[in-house]
Amino acid sequence: MKRSAADNVGLAVMVAIAAFSLLALVGPSLVVIGISFTERQYISFPPVGFTLEWYAAIFENQQLIDAAKTSLVLAASVMATCLALGMPAAFSITRGRYGGRQTLSAFLLAPQMMPGMVIGIAMLFFGSFFAFRQSLLMMILGLTVFCLPFVVRMLMARLALIDPALEEASLNLGASRSQTLKRVTLPQLLPGTLAAAAFAFIEAFDNLTVVLFTASPRTRPLSVELYQLVQFDSSPLVAAISALEIGLAFLIVLVLSRTVGLSRLGD
Amino acid sequence: MTDMTGSDSGGAPRARTRGDPGPIGGSLMSAVPALAFLGALFVVPLGFLLSFAFLTIERGDIVSGLPTLRHFFETLTDDLFWIVAWRSFWVGVVSTILCVVFAYPVAWVYSELKGAWRPIVLVLVVAPLLTSAVVRTYAWIVILGGRYGLINSLLIDLGLIGRPLRILNTDIAVIIGMVQIHLPFMILPLISVLDGRDRAREEASLALGASRIVTFFRVTLPLSVPGIAAGASLVFALSYTNFIIPQLLGGGNYTTLALQVYEFIIVILDWTEGAVRATLLLLSCFAIVLLINKLGAWYTRWLEAGR
Repeated sequence: MKRSAADNVGLAVMVAIAAFSLLALVGPSLVVIGISFTERQYISFPPVGFTLEWYAAIFENQQLIDAAKTSLVLAASVMATCLALGMPAAFSITRGRYGGRQTLSAFLLAPQMMPGMVIGIAMLFFGSFFAFRQSLLMMILGLTVFCLPFVVRMLMARLALIDPALEEASLNLGASRSQTLKRVTLPQLLPGTLAAAAFAFIEAFDNLTVVLFTASPRTRPLSVELYQLVQFDSSPLVAAISALEIGLAFLIVLVLSRTVGLSRLGD
Repeated sequence: MTDMTGSDSGGAPRARTRGDPGPIGGSLMSAVPALAFLGALFVVPLGFLLSFAFLTIERGDIVSGLPTLRHFFETLTDDLFWIVAWRSFWVGVVSTILCVVFAYPVAWVYSELKGAWRPIVLVLVVAPLLTSAVVRTYAWIVILGGRYGLINSLLIDLGLIGRPLRILNTDIAVIIGMVQIHLPFMILPLISVLDGRDRAREEASLALGASRIVTFFRVTLPLSVPGIAAGASLVFALSYTNFIIPQLLGGGNYTTLALQVYEFIIVILDWTEGAVRATLLLLSCFAIVLLINKLGAWYTRWLEAGR
Protein backbone atom coordinates (compact mmCIF):
# COMPACT_ATOMS: atom_id res chain seq x y z
CA MET A 1 0.00 0.00 0.00
CA LYS A 2 1.50 3.31 -1.01
CA ARG A 3 1.54 6.23 1.37
CA SER A 4 0.37 9.62 0.22
CA ALA A 5 2.14 12.82 1.23
CA ALA A 6 -0.59 13.49 3.80
CA ASP A 7 -0.09 10.01 5.25
CA ASN A 8 3.60 10.72 5.67
CA VAL A 9 2.90 14.00 7.44
CA GLY A 10 0.43 12.21 9.72
CA LEU A 11 2.97 9.52 10.51
CA ALA A 12 5.66 12.12 11.20
CA VAL A 13 3.35 14.00 13.59
CA MET A 14 2.52 10.81 15.47
CA VAL A 15 6.16 9.77 15.80
CA ALA A 16 7.21 13.29 16.80
CA ILE A 17 4.60 13.56 19.58
CA ALA A 18 5.42 10.04 20.78
CA ALA A 19 9.14 10.85 20.90
CA PHE A 20 8.44 14.11 22.73
CA SER A 21 6.22 12.33 25.29
CA LEU A 22 8.80 9.64 25.97
CA LEU A 23 11.48 12.30 26.36
CA ALA A 24 9.22 14.26 28.72
CA LEU A 25 8.68 11.10 30.78
CA VAL A 26 12.34 10.45 31.51
CA GLY A 27 14.02 13.80 30.83
CA PRO A 28 13.11 15.43 34.15
CA SER A 29 14.64 12.55 36.10
CA LEU A 30 17.88 12.92 34.12
CA VAL A 31 17.90 16.66 34.87
CA VAL A 32 17.56 15.93 38.60
CA ILE A 33 20.43 13.44 38.48
CA GLY A 34 22.56 16.05 36.67
CA ILE A 35 21.77 18.75 39.23
CA SER A 36 22.72 16.48 42.13
CA PHE A 37 26.41 16.76 41.14
CA THR A 38 26.55 20.56 40.92
CA GLU A 39 29.06 22.53 42.97
CA ARG A 40 26.71 25.49 43.39
CA GLN A 41 24.76 25.99 46.61
CA TYR A 42 21.49 26.48 44.75
CA ILE A 43 19.68 24.77 41.91
CA SER A 44 20.95 25.87 38.53
CA PHE A 45 21.13 24.41 35.08
CA PRO A 46 23.45 23.35 33.58
CA PRO A 47 25.23 21.90 36.64
CA VAL A 48 28.61 23.47 37.42
CA GLY A 49 31.60 21.22 38.09
CA PHE A 50 31.29 17.84 39.76
CA THR A 51 31.00 17.07 43.44
CA LEU A 52 29.64 14.31 45.63
CA GLU A 53 29.20 16.78 48.49
CA TRP A 54 25.39 16.60 48.37
CA TYR A 55 25.44 12.84 48.63
CA ALA A 56 27.81 13.10 51.59
CA ALA A 57 25.41 15.63 53.14
CA ILE A 58 22.59 13.05 53.09
CA PHE A 59 24.58 10.60 55.16
CA GLU A 60 25.63 13.29 57.64
CA ASN A 61 22.00 14.26 58.25
CA GLN A 62 20.72 12.08 61.09
CA GLN A 63 17.12 13.16 60.48
CA LEU A 64 17.25 11.87 56.91
CA ILE A 65 18.91 8.62 57.94
CA ASP A 66 16.21 8.00 60.54
CA ALA A 67 13.51 8.84 58.01
CA ALA A 68 15.02 6.40 55.51
CA LYS A 69 15.06 3.68 58.17
CA THR A 70 11.41 4.39 59.02
CA SER A 71 10.54 4.16 55.33
CA LEU A 72 12.31 0.82 54.93
CA VAL A 73 10.55 -0.67 57.97
CA LEU A 74 7.25 0.76 56.74
CA ALA A 75 7.66 -0.57 53.20
CA ALA A 76 8.75 -4.04 54.36
CA SER A 77 5.83 -4.27 56.81
CA VAL A 78 3.27 -3.17 54.23
CA MET A 79 4.68 -5.62 51.69
CA ALA A 80 4.54 -8.51 54.18
CA THR A 81 1.02 -7.67 55.39
CA CYS A 82 -0.29 -7.26 51.85
CA LEU A 83 1.08 -10.64 50.79
CA ALA A 84 -0.13 -12.39 53.95
CA LEU A 85 -3.66 -11.07 53.44
CA GLY A 86 -3.72 -10.85 49.66
CA MET A 87 -2.30 -14.24 48.68
CA PRO A 88 -4.97 -16.40 50.40
CA ALA A 89 -7.68 -13.99 49.25
CA ALA A 90 -6.50 -14.21 45.62
CA PHE A 91 -6.56 -18.04 45.84
CA SER A 92 -10.02 -17.99 47.33
CA ILE A 93 -11.52 -15.73 44.67
CA THR A 94 -9.79 -17.32 41.66
CA ARG A 95 -10.40 -20.92 42.67
CA GLY A 96 -13.39 -20.87 44.97
CA ARG A 97 -16.58 -22.63 43.95
CA TYR A 98 -18.85 -20.74 46.32
CA GLY A 99 -21.42 -18.17 45.26
CA GLY A 100 -20.90 -14.43 45.55
CA ARG A 101 -17.30 -14.43 44.42
CA GLN A 102 -17.93 -11.45 42.13
CA THR A 103 -19.23 -9.38 45.03
CA LEU A 104 -16.34 -10.48 47.18
CA SER A 105 -13.81 -9.58 44.54
CA ALA A 106 -15.45 -6.18 44.00
CA PHE A 107 -15.28 -5.53 47.73
CA LEU A 108 -11.61 -6.48 47.97
CA LEU A 109 -10.71 -4.29 44.98
CA ALA A 110 -12.86 -1.34 46.11
CA PRO A 111 -10.16 0.66 47.95
CA GLN A 112 -8.27 1.18 44.69
CA MET A 113 -10.97 3.64 43.65
CA MET A 114 -10.22 5.76 46.71
CA PRO A 115 -7.63 8.51 46.57
CA GLY A 116 -4.85 7.85 49.10
CA MET A 117 -5.84 11.05 50.83
CA VAL A 118 -9.30 9.68 51.66
CA ILE A 119 -7.85 6.47 53.09
CA GLY A 120 -5.39 8.48 55.20
CA ILE A 121 -8.04 10.86 56.54
CA ALA A 122 -10.46 8.01 57.27
CA MET A 123 -7.72 6.23 59.24
CA LEU A 124 -6.89 9.43 61.16
CA PHE A 125 -10.52 10.07 62.13
CA PHE A 126 -11.12 6.43 62.99
CA GLY A 127 -8.00 6.39 65.21
CA SER A 128 -8.96 9.60 66.98
CA PHE A 129 -12.04 7.87 68.30
CA PHE A 130 -10.00 5.16 70.04
CA ALA A 131 -7.10 7.36 71.17
CA PHE A 132 -5.08 5.59 68.45
CA ARG A 133 -2.60 8.26 67.38
CA GLN A 134 -0.64 8.88 64.22
CA SER A 135 2.22 6.38 64.29
CA LEU A 136 4.21 3.86 62.32
CA LEU A 137 1.44 1.32 62.95
CA MET A 138 -1.20 3.68 61.59
CA MET A 139 0.88 4.25 58.46
CA ILE A 140 1.28 0.49 57.98
CA LEU A 141 -2.47 -0.12 58.33
CA GLY A 142 -3.42 2.75 56.03
CA LEU A 143 -0.93 1.80 53.34
CA THR A 144 -1.97 -1.86 53.52
CA VAL A 145 -5.55 -0.81 52.77
CA PHE A 146 -4.19 1.31 49.92
CA CYS A 147 -1.94 -1.39 48.37
CA LEU A 148 -3.95 -4.55 49.07
CA PRO A 149 -6.31 -4.28 46.05
CA PHE A 150 -3.40 -3.94 43.64
CA VAL A 151 -1.61 -6.91 45.19
CA VAL A 152 -4.78 -9.05 45.06
CA ARG A 153 -5.39 -8.07 41.44
CA MET A 154 -1.85 -8.87 40.32
CA LEU A 155 -1.92 -12.25 42.10
CA MET A 156 -5.36 -13.10 40.68
CA ALA A 157 -4.15 -12.35 37.14
CA ARG A 158 -1.19 -14.66 37.62
CA LEU A 159 -3.20 -17.41 39.33
CA ALA A 160 -5.66 -17.51 36.44
CA LEU A 161 -2.78 -18.46 34.13
CA ILE A 162 -1.76 -21.55 36.12
CA ASP A 163 -2.81 -24.84 34.54
CA PRO A 164 -4.78 -26.88 37.12
CA ALA A 165 -3.72 -30.13 35.40
CA LEU A 166 -0.27 -29.91 36.98
CA GLU A 167 -1.76 -29.80 40.47
CA GLU A 168 -4.15 -32.64 39.69
CA ALA A 169 -1.21 -34.71 38.46
CA SER A 170 0.68 -33.99 41.65
CA LEU A 171 -2.31 -34.98 43.79
CA ASN A 172 -2.94 -38.13 41.75
CA LEU A 173 0.67 -39.15 42.18
CA GLY A 174 0.14 -39.16 45.91
CA ALA A 175 1.42 -35.76 47.05
CA SER A 176 -0.56 -34.14 49.83
CA ARG A 177 -2.35 -30.84 49.27
CA SER A 178 0.20 -28.87 51.24
CA GLN A 179 3.07 -30.57 49.37
CA THR A 180 1.40 -29.74 46.08
CA LEU A 181 0.88 -26.15 47.13
CA LYS A 182 4.52 -25.79 48.13
CA ARG A 183 6.14 -27.70 45.26
CA VAL A 184 3.80 -27.11 42.34
CA THR A 185 1.52 -24.11 42.83
CA LEU A 186 3.65 -21.54 44.63
CA PRO A 187 6.71 -21.90 42.36
CA GLN A 188 4.48 -21.11 39.37
CA LEU A 189 3.12 -18.10 41.22
CA LEU A 190 6.58 -16.77 42.05
CA PRO A 191 6.87 -14.17 39.25
CA GLY A 192 3.48 -12.69 40.12
CA THR A 193 4.35 -12.70 43.80
CA LEU A 194 7.63 -10.88 43.15
CA ALA A 195 5.92 -8.25 41.03
CA ALA A 196 3.18 -7.72 43.62
CA ALA A 197 5.71 -7.55 46.46
CA ALA A 198 7.85 -5.04 44.56
CA PHE A 199 4.79 -2.95 43.82
CA ALA A 200 3.68 -2.87 47.47
CA PHE A 201 7.21 -2.09 48.66
CA ILE A 202 7.79 0.77 46.22
CA GLU A 203 4.33 2.25 46.74
CA ALA A 204 4.71 2.15 50.54
CA PHE A 205 8.20 3.63 50.33
CA ASP A 206 7.18 6.50 48.05
CA ASN A 207 3.66 7.17 49.24
CA LEU A 208 2.78 10.62 50.48
CA THR A 209 -1.00 10.86 50.19
CA VAL A 210 -1.81 8.29 52.90
CA VAL A 211 1.26 8.96 54.99
CA LEU A 212 0.85 12.74 55.33
CA PHE A 213 -2.28 12.08 57.39
CA THR A 214 -1.05 9.07 59.38
CA ALA A 215 2.60 9.90 60.19
CA SER A 216 3.39 11.29 63.61
CA PRO A 217 5.76 14.27 63.66
CA ARG A 218 8.37 12.13 65.41
CA THR A 219 8.41 9.12 63.08
CA ARG A 220 8.35 10.74 59.68
CA PRO A 221 9.20 8.58 56.67
CA LEU A 222 11.54 9.77 53.95
CA SER A 223 8.71 10.82 51.63
CA VAL A 224 7.35 13.32 54.17
CA GLU A 225 10.85 14.55 55.00
CA LEU A 226 11.49 15.05 51.30
CA TYR A 227 8.17 16.85 50.87
CA GLN A 228 9.20 19.34 53.57
CA LEU A 229 12.65 19.79 52.07
CA VAL A 230 11.28 20.45 48.59
CA GLN A 231 9.18 23.28 50.01
CA PHE A 232 11.74 24.88 52.28
CA ASP A 233 15.23 23.93 51.09
CA SER A 234 16.58 25.23 47.79
CA SER A 235 19.94 23.45 47.89
CA PRO A 236 20.77 20.53 45.59
CA LEU A 237 20.47 18.21 48.61
CA VAL A 238 16.93 17.34 47.50
CA ALA A 239 18.28 16.48 44.05
CA ALA A 240 20.77 14.06 45.57
CA ILE A 241 18.07 12.29 47.59
CA SER A 242 15.86 12.19 44.50
CA ALA A 243 18.70 10.79 42.41
CA LEU A 244 19.18 7.99 44.95
CA GLU A 245 15.44 7.19 44.80
CA ILE A 246 15.52 7.17 41.00
CA GLY A 247 18.52 4.84 41.14
CA LEU A 248 16.68 2.50 43.50
CA ALA A 249 13.62 2.42 41.25
CA PHE A 250 15.80 1.75 38.21
CA LEU A 251 17.49 -1.15 40.02
CA ILE A 252 14.10 -2.67 40.87
CA VAL A 253 12.91 -2.35 37.25
CA LEU A 254 16.09 -4.06 36.11
CA VAL A 255 15.72 -6.94 38.56
CA LEU A 256 12.02 -7.31 37.74
CA SER A 257 12.55 -7.29 34.00
CA ARG A 258 15.07 -10.11 34.42
CA THR A 259 12.89 -12.22 36.68
CA VAL A 260 9.27 -11.38 35.88
CA GLY A 261 9.38 -10.02 32.37
CA LEU A 262 8.40 -6.46 31.58
CA SER A 263 5.10 -7.16 29.91
CA ARG A 264 3.69 -8.20 33.29
CA LEU A 265 4.54 -4.87 34.88
CA GLY A 266 1.82 -3.07 33.00
CA ASP A 267 -0.98 -5.16 34.53
CA MET B 1 -20.01 -9.13 55.34
CA THR B 2 -21.32 -11.32 58.15
CA ASP B 3 -23.75 -13.13 55.88
CA MET B 4 -20.94 -13.87 53.42
CA THR B 5 -18.98 -15.59 56.16
CA GLY B 6 -22.10 -17.44 57.21
CA SER B 7 -22.69 -18.83 53.73
CA ASP B 8 -19.36 -20.64 53.73
CA SER B 9 -20.83 -24.08 54.27
CA GLY B 10 -24.30 -23.23 52.97
CA GLY B 11 -23.61 -21.59 49.63
CA ALA B 12 -21.01 -23.96 48.27
CA PRO B 13 -22.25 -27.54 48.32
CA ARG B 14 -23.22 -27.79 44.63
CA ALA B 15 -19.65 -28.31 43.46
CA ARG B 16 -18.27 -29.99 46.55
CA THR B 17 -18.52 -33.68 47.20
CA ARG B 18 -17.14 -35.49 50.14
CA GLY B 19 -14.09 -36.85 48.37
CA ASP B 20 -13.26 -33.66 46.43
CA PRO B 21 -12.26 -30.70 48.57
CA GLY B 22 -11.99 -28.50 45.47
CA PRO B 23 -8.94 -26.78 44.04
CA ILE B 24 -6.14 -25.89 46.43
CA GLY B 25 -6.76 -22.65 48.27
CA GLY B 26 -10.29 -22.29 46.95
CA SER B 27 -12.09 -22.11 50.27
CA LEU B 28 -13.89 -18.99 51.37
CA MET B 29 -11.97 -19.15 54.64
CA SER B 30 -8.77 -18.01 52.93
CA ALA B 31 -10.44 -14.71 51.97
CA VAL B 32 -11.69 -14.02 55.49
CA PRO B 33 -8.54 -12.32 56.87
CA ALA B 34 -8.45 -9.84 53.97
CA LEU B 35 -12.21 -9.24 54.24
CA ALA B 36 -12.03 -8.67 57.98
CA PHE B 37 -9.05 -6.36 57.55
CA LEU B 38 -10.76 -4.19 54.95
CA GLY B 39 -14.03 -4.26 56.87
CA ALA B 40 -12.41 -3.01 60.06
CA LEU B 41 -9.81 -0.67 58.60
CA PHE B 42 -11.39 0.57 55.37
CA VAL B 43 -15.19 0.42 55.59
CA VAL B 44 -15.49 1.49 59.23
CA PRO B 45 -12.95 4.35 58.95
CA LEU B 46 -14.69 5.53 55.78
CA GLY B 47 -17.91 5.61 57.80
CA PHE B 48 -16.11 7.80 60.35
CA LEU B 49 -14.93 10.15 57.61
CA LEU B 50 -18.43 10.56 56.19
CA SER B 51 -20.09 10.92 59.60
CA PHE B 52 -17.59 13.58 60.71
CA ALA B 53 -19.00 15.79 57.96
CA PHE B 54 -22.32 15.86 59.82
CA LEU B 55 -20.88 16.53 63.27
CA THR B 56 -19.14 19.50 64.82
CA ILE B 57 -15.60 18.60 65.80
CA GLU B 58 -12.92 20.77 67.29
CA ARG B 59 -9.42 19.45 67.86
CA GLY B 60 -10.49 15.82 67.73
CA ASP B 61 -13.45 16.16 70.12
CA ILE B 62 -17.08 16.04 69.10
CA VAL B 63 -18.63 19.28 70.31
CA SER B 64 -22.27 18.61 69.60
CA GLY B 65 -23.66 15.11 69.33
CA LEU B 66 -26.55 15.86 66.98
CA PRO B 67 -25.95 15.25 63.27
CA THR B 68 -26.50 18.32 61.14
CA LEU B 69 -26.46 19.33 57.48
CA ARG B 70 -25.41 22.83 58.47
CA HIS B 71 -21.77 22.34 57.48
CA PHE B 72 -22.69 21.16 54.00
CA PHE B 73 -25.08 24.05 53.62
CA GLU B 74 -22.45 26.58 54.73
CA THR B 75 -19.84 25.16 52.37
CA LEU B 76 -22.16 24.94 49.38
CA THR B 77 -23.31 28.55 49.80
CA ASP B 78 -19.73 29.79 50.04
CA ASP B 79 -18.67 31.50 46.79
CA LEU B 80 -15.03 30.77 47.47
CA PHE B 81 -15.80 27.05 47.59
CA TRP B 82 -17.25 27.16 44.09
CA ILE B 83 -14.27 29.10 42.72
CA VAL B 84 -11.88 26.49 44.14
CA ALA B 85 -14.10 23.57 43.03
CA TRP B 86 -14.29 24.98 39.50
CA ARG B 87 -10.50 25.37 39.37
CA SER B 88 -10.04 21.73 40.50
CA PHE B 89 -12.45 20.56 37.83
CA TRP B 90 -10.80 22.68 35.18
CA VAL B 91 -7.29 21.45 36.08
CA GLY B 92 -8.58 17.86 35.97
CA VAL B 93 -10.27 18.24 32.58
CA VAL B 94 -7.36 20.07 30.89
CA SER B 95 -4.83 17.55 32.26
CA THR B 96 -6.96 14.67 31.03
CA ILE B 97 -7.35 16.08 27.52
CA LEU B 98 -3.62 16.83 27.24
CA CYS B 99 -2.81 13.35 28.51
CA VAL B 100 -4.90 11.83 25.69
CA VAL B 101 -3.12 14.03 23.14
CA PHE B 102 0.36 13.08 24.35
CA ALA B 103 -0.34 9.46 25.29
CA TYR B 104 -2.19 8.30 22.18
CA PRO B 105 0.76 8.61 19.77
CA VAL B 106 3.00 6.71 22.21
CA ALA B 107 0.54 3.82 22.43
CA TRP B 108 -0.09 3.83 18.68
CA VAL B 109 3.63 3.89 17.81
CA TYR B 110 4.17 1.09 20.35
CA SER B 111 1.50 -1.02 18.64
CA GLU B 112 3.20 -0.51 15.26
CA LEU B 113 6.73 -1.19 16.53
CA LYS B 114 8.46 -4.51 16.27
CA GLY B 115 11.29 -6.24 18.09
CA ALA B 116 13.73 -4.58 20.42
CA TRP B 117 12.03 -1.16 20.47
CA ARG B 118 8.96 -2.42 22.26
CA PRO B 119 10.58 -3.27 25.62
CA ILE B 120 12.48 0.04 25.49
CA VAL B 121 9.27 2.05 25.08
CA LEU B 122 7.62 0.02 27.85
CA VAL B 123 10.52 0.68 30.24
CA LEU B 124 10.35 4.41 29.52
CA VAL B 125 6.62 4.37 30.27
CA VAL B 126 6.68 2.17 33.38
CA ALA B 127 9.91 3.41 35.04
CA PRO B 128 8.50 6.83 36.04
CA LEU B 129 5.68 5.05 37.90
CA LEU B 130 8.28 3.62 40.23
CA THR B 131 9.69 7.02 41.20
CA SER B 132 7.92 8.98 43.87
CA ALA B 133 5.56 11.82 42.99
CA VAL B 134 7.59 14.26 45.11
CA VAL B 135 10.76 13.48 43.18
CA ARG B 136 8.98 13.90 39.86
CA THR B 137 7.34 17.13 40.96
CA TYR B 138 10.66 18.41 42.27
CA ALA B 139 12.15 17.80 38.82
CA TRP B 140 9.69 20.33 37.44
CA ILE B 141 10.73 22.90 40.03
CA VAL B 142 14.29 22.45 38.75
CA ILE B 143 13.19 22.78 35.14
CA LEU B 144 10.63 25.58 35.39
CA GLY B 145 11.84 27.48 38.44
CA GLY B 146 13.50 30.86 38.84
CA ARG B 147 16.30 32.57 37.01
CA TYR B 148 18.52 29.48 36.98
CA GLY B 149 15.96 26.85 36.03
CA LEU B 150 16.52 24.84 32.87
CA ILE B 151 13.92 26.63 30.74
CA ASN B 152 14.89 30.16 31.73
CA SER B 153 18.68 29.55 31.46
CA LEU B 154 18.14 28.04 28.03
CA LEU B 155 15.90 30.82 26.73
CA ILE B 156 18.14 33.58 28.13
CA ASP B 157 21.30 31.96 26.75
CA LEU B 158 19.66 31.70 23.35
CA GLY B 159 18.80 35.40 23.62
CA LEU B 160 15.08 34.72 23.14
CA ILE B 161 14.08 36.47 26.35
CA GLY B 162 15.75 39.16 28.43
CA ARG B 163 14.13 38.49 31.80
CA PRO B 164 13.27 35.08 33.25
CA LEU B 165 9.73 33.94 32.51
CA ARG B 166 7.43 33.26 35.43
CA ILE B 167 6.21 29.70 34.84
CA LEU B 168 6.52 28.13 38.27
CA ASN B 169 3.65 29.07 40.61
CA THR B 170 1.16 29.42 37.75
CA ASP B 171 -1.64 27.29 36.27
CA ILE B 172 0.72 26.25 33.50
CA ALA B 173 3.23 24.70 35.91
CA VAL B 174 0.45 22.77 37.68
CA ILE B 175 -0.92 21.46 34.38
CA ILE B 176 2.54 20.50 33.09
CA GLY B 177 3.21 18.58 36.31
CA MET B 178 -0.17 16.82 36.25
CA VAL B 179 0.16 15.76 32.60
CA GLN B 180 3.71 14.48 32.88
CA ILE B 181 3.14 12.63 36.16
CA HIS B 182 -0.12 10.99 35.07
CA LEU B 183 0.85 10.25 31.46
CA PRO B 184 1.71 6.56 32.07
CA PHE B 185 -1.80 5.96 33.44
CA MET B 186 -3.17 7.03 30.06
CA ILE B 187 -0.54 5.23 27.96
CA LEU B 188 -0.97 1.80 29.56
CA PRO B 189 -4.74 1.35 28.97
CA LEU B 190 -4.30 2.70 25.43
CA ILE B 191 -1.51 0.21 24.77
CA SER B 192 -3.69 -2.65 25.96
CA VAL B 193 -6.49 -1.59 23.59
CA LEU B 194 -4.34 -0.68 20.57
CA ASP B 195 -1.79 -3.46 20.78
CA GLY B 196 -4.30 -6.28 20.83
CA ARG B 197 -6.61 -4.76 18.20
CA ASP B 198 -8.02 -6.67 15.31
CA ARG B 199 -6.53 -5.10 12.18
CA ALA B 200 -8.97 -6.66 9.72
CA ARG B 201 -11.16 -3.53 9.60
CA GLU B 202 -8.15 -1.29 8.97
CA GLU B 203 -6.95 -3.55 6.19
CA ALA B 204 -10.41 -3.59 4.65
CA SER B 205 -10.54 0.21 4.76
CA LEU B 206 -7.12 0.48 3.09
CA ALA B 207 -8.02 -2.14 0.49
CA LEU B 208 -11.14 -0.15 -0.37
CA GLY B 209 -8.94 2.82 -1.19
CA ALA B 210 -9.12 4.98 1.95
CA SER B 211 -5.89 6.73 2.82
CA ARG B 212 -4.01 5.85 6.00
CA ILE B 213 -5.05 9.09 7.68
CA VAL B 214 -8.73 8.55 6.88
CA THR B 215 -8.44 4.95 8.04
CA PHE B 216 -6.89 6.11 11.30
CA PHE B 217 -9.64 8.64 12.04
CA ARG B 218 -12.53 6.52 10.77
CA VAL B 219 -11.47 3.07 12.02
CA THR B 220 -8.58 2.95 14.49
CA LEU B 221 -9.46 5.94 16.67
CA PRO B 222 -13.17 5.05 17.14
CA LEU B 223 -12.25 1.47 18.03
CA SER B 224 -9.88 2.65 20.76
CA VAL B 225 -12.50 4.75 22.58
CA PRO B 226 -12.83 2.18 25.43
CA GLY B 227 -9.11 2.62 26.13
CA ILE B 228 -9.42 6.40 26.03
CA ALA B 229 -12.37 6.25 28.45
CA ALA B 230 -10.49 3.92 30.83
CA GLY B 231 -7.40 6.12 30.80
CA ALA B 232 -9.38 9.35 31.03
CA SER B 233 -11.35 8.29 34.08
CA LEU B 234 -8.10 7.22 35.79
CA VAL B 235 -6.21 10.41 34.90
CA PHE B 236 -9.14 12.65 35.80
CA ALA B 237 -9.57 11.01 39.22
CA LEU B 238 -5.83 11.24 39.90
CA SER B 239 -5.50 14.88 38.79
CA TYR B 240 -8.69 16.02 40.50
CA THR B 241 -7.64 14.59 43.87
CA ASN B 242 -3.92 15.39 43.69
CA PHE B 243 -2.86 18.03 46.20
CA ILE B 244 0.93 17.56 46.07
CA ILE B 245 1.39 19.03 42.58
CA PRO B 246 -0.72 22.19 43.19
CA GLN B 247 1.08 22.64 46.51
CA LEU B 248 4.58 22.38 45.08
CA LEU B 249 4.18 23.82 41.58
CA GLY B 250 1.27 26.22 42.16
CA GLY B 251 2.92 28.29 44.83
CA GLY B 252 1.56 29.22 48.23
CA ASN B 253 -1.81 30.61 47.24
CA TYR B 254 -2.84 28.23 44.47
CA THR B 255 -5.71 26.29 45.98
CA THR B 256 -7.65 23.30 44.73
CA LEU B 257 -10.36 21.34 46.50
CA ALA B 258 -7.99 18.49 47.36
CA LEU B 259 -5.39 20.91 48.72
CA GLN B 260 -8.08 22.56 50.85
CA VAL B 261 -8.98 19.21 52.36
CA TYR B 262 -5.34 18.70 53.33
CA GLU B 263 -5.06 22.20 54.77
CA PHE B 264 -8.28 22.00 56.79
CA ILE B 265 -7.32 18.68 58.35
CA ILE B 266 -3.56 18.98 58.89
CA VAL B 267 -2.85 22.73 59.09
CA ILE B 268 -6.05 24.42 60.32
CA LEU B 269 -7.25 21.35 62.26
CA ASP B 270 -10.87 22.01 61.31
CA TRP B 271 -11.82 18.38 60.83
CA THR B 272 -15.50 19.03 60.17
CA GLU B 273 -14.80 21.36 57.27
CA GLY B 274 -12.14 18.94 56.01
CA ALA B 275 -14.61 16.05 56.15
CA VAL B 276 -17.28 18.08 54.33
CA ARG B 277 -14.90 18.99 51.52
CA ALA B 278 -13.44 15.47 51.34
CA THR B 279 -16.97 14.07 50.98
CA LEU B 280 -17.85 16.60 48.28
CA LEU B 281 -14.54 15.91 46.50
CA LEU B 282 -15.15 12.17 46.55
CA LEU B 283 -18.78 12.37 45.40
CA SER B 284 -18.05 14.79 42.54
CA CYS B 285 -15.05 12.70 41.50
CA PHE B 286 -17.15 9.51 41.34
CA ALA B 287 -19.89 11.31 39.42
CA ILE B 288 -17.47 12.56 36.76
CA VAL B 289 -15.66 9.22 36.45
CA LEU B 290 -19.03 7.52 36.05
CA LEU B 291 -19.97 10.05 33.36
CA ILE B 292 -16.72 9.43 31.44
CA ASN B 293 -17.32 5.67 31.53
CA LYS B 294 -20.95 6.07 30.46
CA LEU B 295 -19.96 8.33 27.56
CA GLY B 296 -17.37 5.75 26.45
CA ALA B 297 -19.93 2.95 26.63
CA TRP B 298 -22.60 4.96 24.81
CA TYR B 299 -20.18 5.83 22.04
CA THR B 300 -19.14 2.22 21.57
CA ARG B 301 -22.77 1.05 21.49
CA TRP B 302 -23.66 3.80 19.00
CA LEU B 303 -20.70 2.76 16.85
CA GLU B 304 -21.74 -0.89 16.88
CA ALA B 305 -25.33 0.02 16.04
CA GLY B 306 -24.15 2.13 13.09
CA ARG B 307 -22.22 -0.66 11.45
